[in-house]
Amino acid sequence: MTETNTPDVQLAAAAASDENTVTERRTRSGSSTARSVIKHILLVLAAIVMIYPLLWMVVSSFRPTAEIFRDTSLWLTTFRVENYAEGWNALNHPFSRYLWNSTIIALGSIIGNVVSCSLAAYAFARLKFKGRSILFSIMLLTLMLPIHVLIVPQYIVFAQFGWINTFWPLILPKFLATEAFFVFLMVQFIRGLPKELDEAALIDGCGHFRIFFNVILPLMVPAIATTTIFTFIWSWNDFFSALIYLTSPQMFTVPVALKGFLDSTGGSNWGAMFAMSLVSLLPVFFAFLFGQRFLIRGIATTGIK
Amino acid sequence: MKMMNKVAAGVVTIGLALTGCAAGGGAPTTNDQGQTVIRFSWWGNDTRNRLTEEVIALFEEQNPDIDVQGEPGEWSGYWDRLATQMAAGDAPDVIQMDEKYIAEYGERGALLDLEAAGVDVSRFAPGTVDTGRLSSGLFGINAGINSPTVIANPAVFEAAGVAIPDDTTWTWDDLAQTAQAITEGSSDGAVGSQNYMMVEPIMRVWLRQQGQDEFNEDGVAFDAETLGQFFQQGLDLQQSGAFPSASVASEELTKPVDQTMGATNRLGLFYYWSNQVKAFDNASGQDLQILRPPSMNGDGDHELWYKASMLWSASGRTGNQEAVVKFINFLANDVDAGKILGVERGVPANLDVREAVRPDLQASDAKIVEYLESIESELGDPMTVTPVGGADIELGRWGTEVILERMTPQAAAEGLTTELTSKVQAGA
Amino acid sequence: MSAIGELAHGERQKDESRDNKAGYIFLTPWLIGLVVITIGPMLASLYLSFTSYPLLAGPTWTGLTNYIRMFNDPRLLNSLVVTFTYVVVGVPLQLILALAIAVLLNTGMKGLAFYRSVFYLPSLMGSSVAIALLWRQMFGTTGLVNQLLQSLVVENPPGWIADPSTALGTIILLHVWTFGSPMIIFLAGLRQIPTMYYEAASVDGASKWTQFRTITLPLLSPIVFFNLVLQIIGAFQAFTQAFIVSGGTGGPADSTMFFTLYLYQQGFTNFQMGYASAMAWLLVIIIGIFTAINFAVSKYWVFYDD
Repeated sequence: MTETNTPDVQLAAAAASDENTVTERRTRSGSSTARSVIKHILLVLAAIVMIYPLLWMVVSSFRPTAEIFRDTSLWLTTFRVENYAEGWNALNHPFSRYLWNSTIIALGSIIGNVVSCSLAAYAFARLKFKGRSILFSIMLLTLMLPIHVLIVPQYIVFAQFGWINTFWPLILPKFLATEAFFVFLMVQFIRGLPKELDEAALIDGCGHFRIFFNVILPLMVPAIATTTIFTFIWSWNDFFSALIYLTSPQMFTVPVALKGFLDSTGGSNWGAMFAMSLVSLLPVFFAFLFGQRFLIRGIATTGIK
Repeated sequence: MKMMNKVAAGVVTIGLALTGCAAGGGAPTTNDQGQTVIRFSWWGNDTRNRLTEEVIALFEEQNPDIDVQGEPGEWSGYWDRLATQMAAGDAPDVIQMDEKYIAEYGERGALLDLEAAGVDVSRFAPGTVDTGRLSSGLFGINAGINSPTVIANPAVFEAAGVAIPDDTTWTWDDLAQTAQAITEGSSDGAVGSQNYMMVEPIMRVWLRQQGQDEFNEDGVAFDAETLGQFFQQGLDLQQSGAFPSASVASEELTKPVDQTMGATNRLGLFYYWSNQVKAFDNASGQDLQILRPPSMNGDGDHELWYKASMLWSASGRTGNQEAVVKFINFLANDVDAGKILGVERGVPANLDVREAVRPDLQASDAKIVEYLESIESELGDPMTVTPVGGADIELGRWGTEVILERMTPQAAAEGLTTELTSKVQAGA
Repeated sequence: MSAIGELAHGERQKDESRDNKAGYIFLTPWLIGLVVITIGPMLASLYLSFTSYPLLAGPTWTGLTNYIRMFNDPRLLNSLVVTFTYVVVGVPLQLILALAIAVLLNTGMKGLAFYRSVFYLPSLMGSSVAIALLWRQMFGTTGLVNQLLQSLVVENPPGWIADPSTALGTIILLHVWTFGSPMIIFLAGLRQIPTMYYEAASVDGASKWTQFRTITLPLLSPIVFFNLVLQIIGAFQAFTQAFIVSGGTGGPADSTMFFTLYLYQQGFTNFQMGYASAMAWLLVIIIGIFTAINFAVSKYWVFYDD
């Protein structure tokens, strides 16, 4: 885009010039408490809508299986902690095994995605090389095909490598930047960064690797945090690939294991399913709580002068 | 360009594997300890998984040279995984199969002819072997007998002040009147009957009593007009209040069975396979009663049949045929294996196993065995295996059009029949 | 997709050769992934789209048969309508909500981390069986929503999930409700906007709305663009939520039969993977057109600093 389109302080200031003066801003502060209260009330209401399903899950995890679907309220008449103990041990392996498997895959995926996608993104966002547009188009194209028509040929490829029933089909592609979502995400973030920064570094004689590591990466903390959070959650919740590639129970991930409680044609162990669903929600939730702190940290880092 | 060559090589590899030329099927598989390794894939819930693992352990104990690797799954994901493995030439050796899909797999050469391979079915009850037979061989061994049932909830009948009818003489009209009486007599919103119009086995019972069938050797074996009458009956009963409202019935279709109205004591009569009765006993907390479906004239001509609740099949490309046959024989005929598995997959077809299992049966299992044995003498023609292309007749979809009155019964029946016929013809 | 050529805009001559080398070095992992893992299966599916491929036996070449069949398949047309409705209604609603909440949460208010977590919760659980069950229960004929409506004296509220005219709406609502992912991306983008812009504007007395219009939106536009492109691509491929809420049927009466769900049924339930592959490539063309338009239009509203 052309430089003239870039918004800057002058633009904002110019647009704001017809606004009134500082004095009026001061008089507003009285009503701002009232506005803040209203804002919080709205947010709390919205939060209740958001959180209701979680509460329902928590309550259901303490109910006997037969009661779960007869009672939509959030009041507990019985308190059945046994769902947890039963659920933990009901499958071939203790549930910790599946949590562990999912953790390995999630951590591997995070490292893979952050490293490989940021490298590719830097190339697409900042480097002018032959074939860039066409490669970028191909990358977007890889996002558009549904997994269901790719799974059989993909399975054949991984079977050739001897990787069926191992974690490799779930982790290794992440190291090869196959998740175009994150490449594109990082491209957009990098292109949002002021170009003068790396131009200055270039003039100082820095190579692209130093620019990437010393200038771009530190500024991309919010994007990397986003990638980390999403990768963790998506790989944690990924059902289809895990279902297809992991065949023996000791390799199962959490979502595949959770299906072990269910039987759509007969009796399901709903109580245990809810209990273990909740247990498996904890790691993602904490991962999110941890990851989102870096969304805040970004602001300090981007306090560019 | 080098890169293009690599891409081309990759595509060729995939292409070869897709056509089945490059896959390593056929070679025996062994592990480090020199044991023959066979992979065994099934669907089920945690109870079935536990029992199956126990049986595997017993088999491995008796056959130290064989290592059975279990691959459990859940119904819906199971078929996606199996189809992918099969397509990629990486199928498990022993496969739990369903009657609906056995032709899809068997007719395309993906399964092993178990009779030719030497699986023993000599002690099977009459009419239980052919449930897995296709024109080209025996591709599935009955893992448990099943039959359509009408389930009556005594608590709902009692609350409505209605007596449970005699199932040896009742007619479809009796059913309709009973159901209507329950709906009218119930104070807590219970309804007389599930909408049986969208229950495939009941549709088949009804068609057979009309001298037709769902499928025969030539493919689809009913005409649209007869099916239209069945749909019309369903719509009439919905309007009379014998069945739940359209909106409720439509929701019921997508629920797991243990959340349906039948499982939550809100139906007098509902319709499932016999091996599902226990799940309803557990979910409803009632001692549910099993009834025969009605007949047209009350003469006891129910036209029932034995179906395999599921079957044991083997991959046509297994390199471990001997071990596979040994294992399937063990599952189907070994008394000790049978004692572990019980009737969880259905009543054993092997009569010796059935006798061995009988003393330990729980009440809800015992009544299923009793029901299946009581109908043995009055069974109609054996059923024809679902042909290629017939796995999903989309009864729920067309039925919903009828109950929501978006289509006339006749139009929906014609739609279903035309669609199914063309799918089956395409598969043949 | 010539619109993407826009990326190469504003090129400079200097260091062209150095950029070439560096470009491919940085792209090495991606290129390996493309060649080894991605391209092969994609080309295979393209080939299969011209065949009859019943999965359990090899494919046979049938030319354009699958593509011709698509034009005579009323259910496919219906699934396209369902999917378009979902994209056109669901994507803007979700994005506007996500942006509004993100901006609200970016004001440095108290309890920020708490709200952010709460609003993200649905996205954590969005594809789980538990949520599908809850959704069905809430919007059932005798569900929570109708109990609420009846207590507000609404007579005979519809069975939201059972009624073909409202079933899709409940799934769109479920989609909007999981607005957490775009919200987080917006939040991350907002964090990149230097605070000094706002400080300067405040000193000049610019209102919050003016600040939003003149600073936030333009500087956030690459991220808005990203969310728009990716959410559209994602929505066209919507599968999981429809699959679990309708129990894989796409019912009632095909009213939630999304394109990808129909494709899946053709491939895995009816063993017609050739036809499913053709459908997939039709989808690629449709998404491709939308994406190209998006890129073309982006020239007029997305601001990059390069």
